Amino acid sequence: MADWIPNILTLMTLSPLLGIFFLMLIDARDHKRLRLMAMVTSLATFALAIVAAVDFSRAADAADRWDAFHLKSTTAWLGDSVGGVVDIAYRVGVDGISLSLVLLTAFLMPLVVWGSFSSIRERVREYFILLLLLEVGMLGVFCALDLFLFYVCFEFTLVPLYFIIGIWGGPQRRKAANKFFIYTLTGSVLMFAAILFLAHHAYVTNGIGVFTLDILKLTAMGQQYLIPYNVQWWLFLAFAAGFAIKVPFFPVHTWLPLAHTEAPTAGSVILAGVLLKLGTYGFLRLSLPILPDASVRFAPMMATLAVIGIIYGALCAWVQTDVKKLVAYSSVSHLGFCMLGMFSMKMAGATGSVLYMLNHGLSTGALFLVIGMVYERYHTREMSRIGGLAKPMPWMAFFLVFFTLSSIGLPGLNGFIGEFLVLLGTAASGTVSDNLSAGRLGFGYAAAAALGIIFGAVYMLLMCRRVLFGPVVEPPGTPDASQGLPPDLNLRERFILAPLAIVCVVLGVWPKPLIETIQPAIMANVFQVKQDLQYAGETDAVAPEVIFAVDAIEAADDNDGERSS
Amino acid sequence: MDSSAVQTWALLILLAPLAGAIAAGVLGPGVLKGRSHWPVILGVGAAVLGAFKLFGLVRHGAHEGAHSVTVVLYQWFAAYEGKWFNVEVLVDPLTVIMLLVVTGVSLLVIIYSRDYMREDGQAVKGYERFFAYLGLFVFSMVALVLGGNFLLLYLGWEAVGLCSFLLIGFYYDKPAAAAAAKKAFLVNRIGDFGFGLGILLIYLTFGSLDFATVFDMAERGVAVSGDLSYGRVTAIALLLLCGAVGKSAQLPLHVWLPDAMEGPSPVSALIHAATMVTAGVYMIVRCGSIFAASPLAMTIVALIGGLTALFAASIALVQYDMKRILAYSTISQLGYMFLGLGVSAAGSAVFHLYTHAFFKALLFLAAGSVMHAMGGIIDIRKFGGLRRVLPWTYRTMFLGCLALAGFPLLSGFWSKDEIIHAAFTQDKFLGGLALLTAVMTAFYTFRMFFRAFFGTTRVPEGVHAHESGLWMLVPLFVLSIGAVFAGFVGVEVGHGGMLGLFRPHGAFHHFLEPVLTPFTHGGHEAHATLGHFQEFGLMYASAALSVFGIAVAYTLYVDSPMLAMIMRRVFPATHELLLNKYHVDEGYDRFIVRPLRSLGRFCAAIDEHLIDGLVWLVTAVPRLIGMLLRSIQQGSLQGYAASMMVGLAVLLAFVLWGVIS
Repeated sequence: MADWIPNILTLMTLSPLLGIFFLMLIDARDHKRLRLMAMVTSLATFALAIVAAVDFSRAADAADRWDAFHLKSTTAWLGDSVGGVVDIAYRVGVDGISLSLVLLTAFLMPLVVWGSFSSIRERVREYFILLLLLEVGMLGVFCALDLFLFYVCFEFTLVPLYFIIGIWGGPQRRKAANKFFIYTLTGSVLMFAAILFLAHHAYVTNGIGVFTLDILKLTAMGQQYLIPYNVQWWLFLAFAAGFAIKVPFFPVHTWLPLAHTEAPTAGSVILAGVLLKLGTYGFLRLSLPILPDASVRFAPMMATLAVIGIIYGALCAWVQTDVKKLVAYSSVSHLGFCMLGMFSMKMAGATGSVLYMLNHGLSTGALFLVIGMVYERYHTREMSRIGGLAKPMPWMAFFLVFFTLSSIGLPGLNGFIGEFLVLLGTAASGTVSDNLSAGRLGFGYAAAAALGIIFGAVYMLLMCRRVLFGPVVEPPGTPDASQGLPPDLNLRERFILAPLAIVCVVLGVWPKPLIETIQPAIMANVFQVKQDLQYAGETDAVAPEVIFAVDAIEAADDNDGERSS
Repeated sequence: MDSSAVQTWALLILLAPLAGAIAAGVLGPGVLKGRSHWPVILGVGAAVLGAFKLFGLVRHGAHEGAHSVTVVLYQWFAAYEGKWFNVEVLVDPLTVIMLLVVTGVSLLVIIYSRDYMREDGQAVKGYERFFAYLGLFVFSMVALVLGGNFLLLYLGWEAVGLCSFLLIGFYYDKPAAAAAAKKAFLVNRIGDFGFGLGILLIYLTFGSLDFATVFDMAERGVAVSGDLSYGRVTAIALLLLCGAVGKSAQLPLHVWLPDAMEGPSPVSALIHAATMVTAGVYMIVRCGSIFAASPLAMTIVALIGGLTALFAASIALVQYDMKRILAYSTISQLGYMFLGLGVSAAGSAVFHLYTHAFFKALLFLAAGSVMHAMGGIIDIRKFGGLRRVLPWTYRTMFLGCLALAGFPLLSGFWSKDEIIHAAFTQDKFLGGLALLTAVMTAFYTFRMFFRAFFGTTRVPEGVHAHESGLWMLVPLFVLSIGAVFAGFVGVEVGHGGMLGLFRPHGAFHHFLEPVLTPFTHGGHEAHATLGHFQEFGLMYASAALSVFGIAVAYTLYVDSPMLAMIMRRVFPATHELLLNKYHVDEGYDRFIVRPLRSLGRFCAAIDEHLIDGLVWLVTAVPRLIGMLLRSIQQGSLQGYAASMMVGLAVLLAFVLWGVIS
């Protein structure tokens, strides 16, 4: 098949670098041009992402495989990809899951850049350069089909955000940046060890014999029971250490509220919108398919933690007085749904989980944008110091209520479908109707998680009531018009929020195209991977010494049963 | 039935109000301003036409034996590949009756609001917002009624809740209104929690969420995995009931409805009396095959209904806020409907829903007219004798009160009597509850009426009282006609029975019958078990009780007002308890809200101290190591030399040891 543009993914991922180059050429004091340049760059990247999406659908149609990775390209890097012993290459490619996350990232970026026009007034050039670097990292993670590239990009995202929080953040920015950096780095070091071990395991595995980091090959290895259960067990924990912190998964979430509160608006939006999804994406792309038995084994534990996180995050959010902190805790609660869905091991749950990633990115990102716009005028996020803003800021009130509704899963808007599918998958985990073997969750998990929906409404509406309704409360000397901002949202700000709102409605009413893109990918690349293990061509008999983990689980279950009976 | 015609008209009913709402919202602020009611009136007017057209189609279809049709509009989302949940509409007799009630009352209320939402001829602030919300509400409510599967029912359910939230909080700068809006949404969410779990359980049990599939399987008593167990179907029914109890403000989730009166009066009339709050009743009727399969669930429905009816009526006896009296009355009347459902008299419940929509909307709009004239004051202690000041409001309200009190031959009488009758047939206790409530209803209705319109004329200070204009009066007239005569569609005239003329169960019930088969199959045949005398004796009794209640109210509040004072003195504790609504709100706050909030604070503290403390400990390990090692790197050359010597010595010793051994 002929792609319109060869290597479109690489081009898209690296396109912000070109923008950075031009930003370097512009006079650092010429804020106007810098902003324009950053905006143009992010729009160009978004355009390339759309081209990639169109290309993807053409390729998928041409091959009649909506479930496969397309737009793939490989460049040998370390070692030789054909016949060598070490196989670490630059590999990119997307399937329905990663493509939708790529689109989310590229879509949010111009809005974030535009949103920073008025809020960032110092070191403008450095700021935009870091923001665009961040985009490169995020797109790289989603496009990567090689664990080395994945890991490099995964880690690389830390650096720009560290500086964005540390330089343009609030009063406690240093502490927040350090905490964020060290917290996440600690987890990912363990993950890196697991990655190396995995490659080594491929090397020693009968029939592969290559030190490979090719995600597809590793996935195939995992799916063909070539990784013994006890190895999977450790690898799962090591991967989880890296991803769970990123998610952030209860109880390793405590870096998030501080980072969110201190980060500038753009940092919060990107953090909530995309960066947290790196964790859930990691679980979905790597842990579940490569370590299927351990994933099943750990599912109840992960789900229990997810449910605790849902309720715990919601309760914490309820008592916050800082609007941003409230939304940050709501992320802890929401991402719990995301995790719960995928560990139901059901199509419905995993579909819901992916939708939840996208929806949370849209609605929570938008909420942070709105809050940022309020902050620019009132210089506070304390709910006791602002109130009744619906009167001076009707547009803001409209958007805040709208995205609140999206966030609490009002049917007809985007949030509902993800939430419902997560709960449906969780409740139906024990059934086999979708041609997948039964998962280990059940109705009880769904019921407990659904409590989070009530609490979600409680704290979000509490926020709306305090900020928007009642008599007007404004700190002295505000709203601050010194930067030329009108009391209510100006046209630029409305144009930033409107696309988000439109997408929320479209995804709530007509999500069919998205679902038709995601579901084949989940089926084929997460649960029932059919990719051939190319190196294993000559050996039909797979390693005999492998402990068949499923049997092990059943044996363990039997033991449990005997003990309890 | 011609499904393409059904599709066309159903789409019109759905989209016309939505288009009106969008037009009012988008064009309102800049272009339409004080004329923003027009797009919504036109949209909802079109929906009324569509509803009549669908009614015609269904009637026509019923003659041919096809009483129900499902039309798939498009595929919405999928549980797994190929397992789509559709956006689909279901049209049957129940749907069209609901559609007629909803669109009809909506249109009248919207017309009424044109003047109500003005002060001195000027549109109030947020005028266009108000009409946009109303249009959105009509859209949501018809979506609820038309939806052909549980997801769409849930969608409409949540969407009407949202509109209710937005409209209760319309005067958002009033803290009480903002709090009431939030409370309404949250209490409903608690109910919806159960409803949502019920939907999940339905999917687990039947493998589908389509009404047609689910109800068919439920009626045949089968599930995906073998037979449908009694426990499972009861669980589903009770979970669904949670949702119904929340939406229809039944015990114990009734607390939001009285507070919802903070919204503008047209909203109270439309959403919190005639339409949205009846969604719970609609849902139970719709899910008849699930509820009827579980006698336990039916008993619980009946008990909740009967107790709520009495409970709310008793509170209404002593309240002073006209709209709150009406709100408790709504709760009480909805209790009647639940009671009717619980005793398998679903036809009577829907009939009461239908008559109640007329007279309760009328009462709220009339109360709104009073409030409008009194400058926003609605406390019946602050005015009196208004019958001279507001002659037309007085007359229409009189008719509404009679209908609510169940005065013989008016609409409320027929429907309420059927329910009382069915309750008695099933269980004497439930019947007693219903009769007792009937007396109370007559009493509190006319207590309110007499205090407001009789006695010496008093108006609050500084208020220039005036009768409302035609925009407001015409809807009142139309609704009064309905309040008086609407009941006759449910009565057979000229076949003996009461006064030798009227028999219950008329055309209305026959039209509905195909939908109600699950209830009638499992239920009791009311006429078979009661003799002729008992049957019509009850009718006379309830008529007499109604008149008795009115007479007592007259004695206490017109004839000898001293008696009312004495009563209050004699039973101060009871009065206090009722005035404070049995302290339910305070109880919830104390035993649920505050403990949860403390738990929230506890969690936040855990986050800050325990988890972060542990994280600090983890980081303390490398820090400690660093601190220890730092002391070695003190920068003194001698120190380095010494440690080098020691190291070398150890190494040498080690090597030598190796060589020797």
